[in-house]
Amino acid sequence: MPNDQQPDHQHIADEKPRTVYVSHPASGLARSNFPLVCEVTSARIVRSRPFHIPDSVRRYEIKTSTRGVFTRPQKEVQMPLAFAWKQRVHADTRVRYPLLRNDWSPDNPNTEQRGHSGYTRISWDRAIDIIVDQIKRIHQKYGSMEPVLVQADGHGHSGYMQSLHFWGHYLFDMIREHLGWGWWTQQVRNPDSWEGYYWGAKHVWGFDATLGEPYQDAVWDDVLEHTEMVIFSGNDPEATGLGMSGSIALEMPKWLKRAGIKIIALAPDLNYAASVHADTWIPLKPNTDAALYLALAHCWISEGNYDKDYVASHTIGFDAFAAHVLGEDDGVVKNPAWAEPITGVPARTIRALAREWAKKRTSFSVYFGGPKIRGTMSHLAARLEAYVLAMQGIGKPGRQFLRTGAPSFYKKSLAQVPRYPQVDRHGIALNPLIEYAIGKGPKSPVFIPRTLAAEAILDRAVSWFGTTAALAKTEDQFKHYQFPPSIDHPGIRMVWNENGSQPGSWGHGLKWLEALRSPMIDFVVGVHPWLENDLPYSDLILPAQTNYEHEDLIAVQRSDLLAMFWQDQAVEPVGESKSDYEIHRMIGLRLGLEAAFPPAEDWMKSAYEGTLAHTGHGLDWAAFKDRKFVIYDCPTWEEWVDIKREHGYDEHGGGLQWYWSTATGLETLSGRIEFVSGRIAALDPDNAERPPLAKWLTHREQAGSARAATYPLTVMSNHPRFRFHVQGDDIDWIKEIGKVRGPDGYWYEPCRMHPDEAAARDIADGDIVRVFNERGAVLAGAMLTERLIPGAVSIDHGAKMDMAMLTNQIVDRGGCINLIAPSPLEKYGPGADIKVPEMNVSGFLVQIEKIDPADIVPGTGIGQGVVVSS
Amino acid sequence: MTSMNKPGKKKFLIDMEKCTSCQLCVIACKDEHVGADYLPWTKSQPQTGHFWIDVHSMERGQIPRVKMSYLPMMCQHCDNAACVKACPEDAIKRRDDGLVWIDQEKCTGCGMCEDACPYDVIFMNQDVGVAQKCTGCAHRVDAGSLPRCAEVCPHDVILFADEDDAAFLAAAADAAIHHPEFEARPRVLWKGLPQPWIAGAVFDAASDDLLADVEVTAVDLFDDSVHTARSDAFGDFRITGLRDGRKYLLHIRGPHHEEVRSVVTCDGDQDLGTIALIPQ
Repeated sequence: MPNDQQPDHQHIADEKPRTVYVSHPASGLARSNFPLVCEVTSARIVRSRPFHIPDSVRRYEIKTSTRGVFTRPQKEVQMPLAFAWKQRVHADTRVRYPLLRNDWSPDNPNTEQRGHSGYTRISWDRAIDIIVDQIKRIHQKYGSMEPVLVQADGHGHSGYMQSLHFWGHYLFDMIREHLGWGWWTQQVRNPDSWEGYYWGAKHVWGFDATLGEPYQDAVWDDVLEHTEMVIFSGNDPEATGLGMSGSIALEMPKWLKRAGIKIIALAPDLNYAASVHADTWIPLKPNTDAALYLALAHCWISEGNYDKDYVASHTIGFDAFAAHVLGEDDGVVKNPAWAEPITGVPARTIRALAREWAKKRTSFSVYFGGPKIRGTMSHLAARLEAYVLAMQGIGKPGRQFLRTGAPSFYKKSLAQVPRYPQVDRHGIALNPLIEYAIGKGPKSPVFIPRTLAAEAILDRAVSWFGTTAALAKTEDQFKHYQFPPSIDHPGIRMVWNENGSQPGSWGHGLKWLEALRSPMIDFVVGVHPWLENDLPYSDLILPAQTNYEHEDLIAVQRSDLLAMFWQDQAVEPVGESKSDYEIHRMIGLRLGLEAAFPPAEDWMKSAYEGTLAHTGHGLDWAAFKDRKFVIYDCPTWEEWVDIKREHGYDEHGGGLQWYWSTATGLETLSGRIEFVSGRIAALDPDNAERPPLAKWLTHREQAGSARAATYPLTVMSNHPRFRFHVQGDDIDWIKEIGKVRGPDGYWYEPCRMHPDEAAARDIADGDIVRVFNERGAVLAGAMLTERLIPGAVSIDHGAKMDMAMLTNQIVDRGGCINLIAPSPLEKYGPGADIKVPEMNVSGFLVQIEKIDPADIVPGTGIGQGVVVSS
Repeated sequence: MTSMNKPGKKKFLIDMEKCTSCQLCVIACKDEHVGADYLPWTKSQPQTGHFWIDVHSMERGQIPRVKMSYLPMMCQHCDNAACVKACPEDAIKRRDDGLVWIDQEKCTGCGMCEDACPYDVIFMNQDVGVAQKCTGCAHRVDAGSLPRCAEVCPHDVILFADEDDAAFLAAAADAAIHHPEFEARPRVLWKGLPQPWIAGAVFDAASDDLLADVEVTAVDLFDDSVHTARSDAFGDFRITGLRDGRKYLLHIRGPHHEEVRSVVTCDGDQDLGTIALIPQ
């Protein structure tokens, strides 16, 4: 990738680099990890180095009675992508100027040409004119902003304020507030990485504020003191953990090992962390965790080794569950022999796991939930997971739900590791705009779940239950919604795309691309630094900046230590690019919204001045900018124990100790763990998919279904280790470490498969394969491995799209597997009410065949032919 | 570790058992060297194709008893370096601190060193017509900094220090040389170099239960050394520290089962699958 502003090498040594803290590019939602320490000259980003926590910062110590003292390292690294990200700053994929699609005009948008057309450079003035004209046209023609779909919620390169992706929502909200032009259509971010916990586990144990995952208060104190075994359910601290939380995610499995705790990896694949840390790997077929949990329950009921007292005092409805496990309701005994062919786990291994789990103090660990939590009926797996955790007394010492790294909001009242509560509450600047993405509900009463955006455009009318807002109360899942809100509504006419992540981060991406070409859509605006993925389906593209090109605040909230940094501008802006905020501010100012769009620094200063650094420590804004960062001290162990006692925890207690000791206080109707959900029984008792008691069921994306005769392999799709969702595949260095080089020299997305499945298809390691189902096809490079159970293929989500032709069929040579993942509508059929609008991007059926790469015709499919003329 | 700008001779210590193949060392090396000359030690690294440090992966065992071993590989900075001897231009030199470097002005790009290096860690830069490799970040060491790979490694896999530093000596107490048969006297020491294992699982043929705590013994038929492992709660056993090419007499003794005996040749890791033990 050429760096067009890179000078001759000889001149580099002359200039002493200055140091700039730059926000980790995979930051999202205005929250960040620790930044990169970048050394820059006037012309070049020389190097990016890890941050070191200064000696003057007091790090925490977790003390145990017999297992030693645990703390975190001073060195703070980020995912490798962060250190390679500088290569994207001057990449030839950068959008350098406002670009207008050649065959778009207000009166003839030529919608079917989106993805094919070339672009012409236009001035910012003209770009803002066009946008403002289109906004006004919508208002004049339809009387409100409701025909504008704004999708902007993270999943792209992001920072605290300048690169934030929520400004589209804010702009239209301000148009509503100040100009009175009515609501816009808000695309609501569903609980994407937590799906099953949200749609399932919340009905068992609540935890609405943490998307259905149990609180993490002081949980490590308990685990490191008491736990003997931890089950990693698809958890990969080396991939998602490092990306989301930084170094601490790498440290936590090492804490477990040092404490002498056994690690059992339970997943279809032996993932990166498991391949070095796990004592035992139990491979199971993708999305069959529900069957495994039922068989474990059967073992415990048969052998009597579950916590009967806890079940009696802390749960309701267990008898009905036991009857289902024993087959008294449906004639199917869910014993290990029943589960073996479904899960691929030998019955004797299931029995051994059940006995170990009962005998040893066992905690259960995820980061988000692993591949099982983002598949068809993942709510069933999550509910059954909560059931089996309840059967072994969750909350008892050593028996906890354990995240390997937790952002600061994952709590009842205390942080996961020793931190002062006031630092958690007031330590860092929180951007209020986060409500647009991670909120209790959409701000606009006119909205579409992200999972149903394509359907809302193509099918014109969709109806479903639940706003899908991440922090919505469980009750919301029983409320009926529809789009459009009325029969005479114009539907979606304009799309505001802020990060290009829709086709590669959600299901059935090909349908989204089809929606963008719909004759319904008069105007598509794209705001992004790079011309990639669905950006070439825009009519007008506005050049956004990377974090290297502007000042910003950095709010470190996803790490175990809380901190704020000042990000200086590292390099000159590329082309005429502007920050996301400045872009939206320019539009706002043209519309007369001065009051809503102050200069960026006013906004940051005001947010900073509400934090403890200012109010408690007297460090004013200018002094903070001069110092560059504030990292808050942690309490001493003795202080922490006192804090914990004030909040009802013992010295070595934590996690759900409070529930274990009180048997009340959950957000279920009963306040207890509910095998039979009171809310479902009252509000939706006849829902066959999600009945009051979770029951085993089969579905169309399962091995053994009718479709499996044609598509016999199940895709599991992890969060990628070397990309950030859909971003970073264009970096040569990332290709070299993360892709499979084909015989044609192209870097293909890896498709991991067991040698047995490969042999059955005459596929050798490194062969190029077509991965397909009735939705479409993508290409990938076969990577044969013993690290994946037969019957599955593993392709990480979000590879960069690259449409090509293969024997007269359009295929994605880039290998973006989400393009052929299911839509939530498919479970129900066209026109039906969608009972559980869950996302399914892991756990769906495909077939695979070897292809000859000589048959690939690059650049002739949709999304191609994009030429930029200046 | 001590400050780096002392005149002492340097060594690397690589602890394979800690490596997770996160690739941060690989990216940090490219971040440092692509697009930047650090003369005299090296000209800039090309954008792609060079891995002055690379993490070699070994997938070991069979489902479900699989583990990964990762081997971060770079110039071994040998005291008896084949590349130095092979270079017809005497362009490959050794600094006082032991780091081996290729003089980019004298190098003609003939490729003899690339062929001679037994560790396969020299790369030809076609753009500028020279051979290149890890310099130990000599330019950073001279400025008192660590090599980028050692600085970034989050798992303390790569240590770099004066060879007589007390902490280094303690850490390297049981370290070995990779491929001693090359007789290259490398300045990179290794811990956890992989040795073959014999693994499997045992269960009771009558109850179909996996058997914990079963003693499995392998007797080396060449030197009579005895290697023992016990099965865990999932019936899995793994006898480690064996030697390639040796034959082992295996005894599996369940608590109340007929003994199983077998001769196993260690041609790499051996997985015996799931073994039924017959109750007596």
